Amino acid sequence: MTLLWDELKAAVPLIFHGNPYLFSVIGFTLQVAAIATVIAAVIGLPLGLTLGLGRFRGRRWLQILANASLGLPPVLVGLFLFLVFVPQGPLGGWQLNTTRRAVYIAQAILAMPYTVTLTAAAVQGLPSELLSQARLLGAGRLQLAALALREARIGVIAAVLAALGTALSEVAAIAIVGGNVYGYDQTLASAALYEANQARYADSVAIAIVLLVLIVILMGGVSLLQHSGGGVRMRFRAGPAAELG
Amino acid sequence: MGFLWSQLRLAVPLIYHGDRYIWSVTWVTLRLALISTAAASVIGLPFAVTLGLGRFRGRRVLQALANASMALPSVVVGVFVLILLLPGGVLGSLRIEFTLRGVYIAQTLLALPFIVALVPAAIQGLAPGLLQQARALGAGRVQLAALALREARIGVLAAVIAAFGSAISEVGAVVIVGGNIEGHDQTLGSAVLQQVTDYANYPAAIAIGLVLLVLILILIAALTVLQQRAGGLGLRFRTGAVS
Repeated sequence: MTLLWDELKAAVPLIFHGNPYLFSVIGFTLQVAAIATVIAAVIGLPLGLTLGLGRFRGRRWLQILANASLGLPPVLVGLFLFLVFVPQGPLGGWQLNTTRRAVYIAQAILAMPYTVTLTAAAVQGLPSELLSQARLLGAGRLQLAALALREARIGVIAAVLAALGTALSEVAAIAIVGGNVYGYDQTLASAALYEANQARYADSVAIAIVLLVLIVILMGGVSLLQHSGGGVRMRFRAGPAAELG
Repeated sequence: MGFLWSQLRLAVPLIYHGDRYIWSVTWVTLRLALISTAAASVIGLPFAVTLGLGRFRGRRVLQALANASMALPSVVVGVFVLILLLPGGVLGSLRIEFTLRGVYIAQTLLALPFIVALVPAAIQGLAPGLLQQARALGAGRVQLAALALREARIGVLAAVIAAFGSAISEVGAVVIVGGNIEGHDQTLGSAVLQQVTDYANYPAAIAIGLVLLVLILILIAALTVLQQRAGGLGLRFRTGAVS
């Protein structure tokens, strides 16, 4: 246990004594998480609602596509963005590689599948009479969407929290696009990776502990949500999905 | 688009002509995915079946923990595994830091949550009468577990595929524990990272990325087919009212 213990003993003071590097990384991480989640929600919620409520041709295929996007490796998203942002690339004029903006964009794109698919699933989990009644009573599209959003709010919040978790902990895409520049565009995850590669293990452990605490708080929130509101839950699940068809 | 196209045209022949580096990285990745998924299944399935079938105190809390473990950042797992493996650490005498064996350990830990969280969900999604009947007919624990696994096989298979997919595309833990050593313990994902950030060799990065993309698409297709089969058995994140 000696090394683990030594590293922990060295790591904890770094957290408590306000190491400025650590605090700047925490600040940037929260900023990335907030910006990426807001973008993912603003774009993803309308898409998720359309997918969940819409009755148009190809809806099923779009939903399969959206579910599949959850499995896209972040490193590939990072590679694609990097090539698009390279000076010779299609959006090279924007000069985004190794900037903070590129990090925001990458994490927002990675968070988006969660807001889209989980919002759609939450809306589809509503009792079907509720929405058909509203339709019969002459509710317009916007009214219907507002109703669905309100009724499925716990699932929608869970979707946003899942997006937040992704923005906090994903590392591969931002390491490519952001370049993992020390003290500039590092999140906790990419900083932990960087410090470990530099063989500064105490710093790496301190950063990992902070990230772990943030994720535990987030998952605590998700667990509370699951058990509140009459037992609504969010999780991967394999089971007969009657309302899929 | 000219740039992307020209890079792509340089990348495809690398795959086509069997570049040795690319194939060795692919082989390492597949081996890592196979070994870590198998290890996670062997370790995780007994626990998962207990969680799915069990009627004991604290089951709900354990299940909440299992679900939460899926959100564990791979970087965090990587840092703690590395600390355990370094000389002076608990497993330091094994001398497997910055080797593929160390990466196997980290990836097994990352694959476990998929087995431990998704398999119980699959078992609990079975028709409740089935297991009750088996219990009433006097099935022992092992028989009951075998029945549950057989009946929930599509969900179990989906969990295994999800674990395999996470291993194929993992980067954070692989880079930290393995050190991303070229031609030694690199996976497709960590090789892409190195080709871009260390060498600016975009055709190689694209070629490796394409191989990764093809593997992932095969897995996603398998998962999608599983979802659509057997009367709409679905595996996905989902939010719904508990009955």
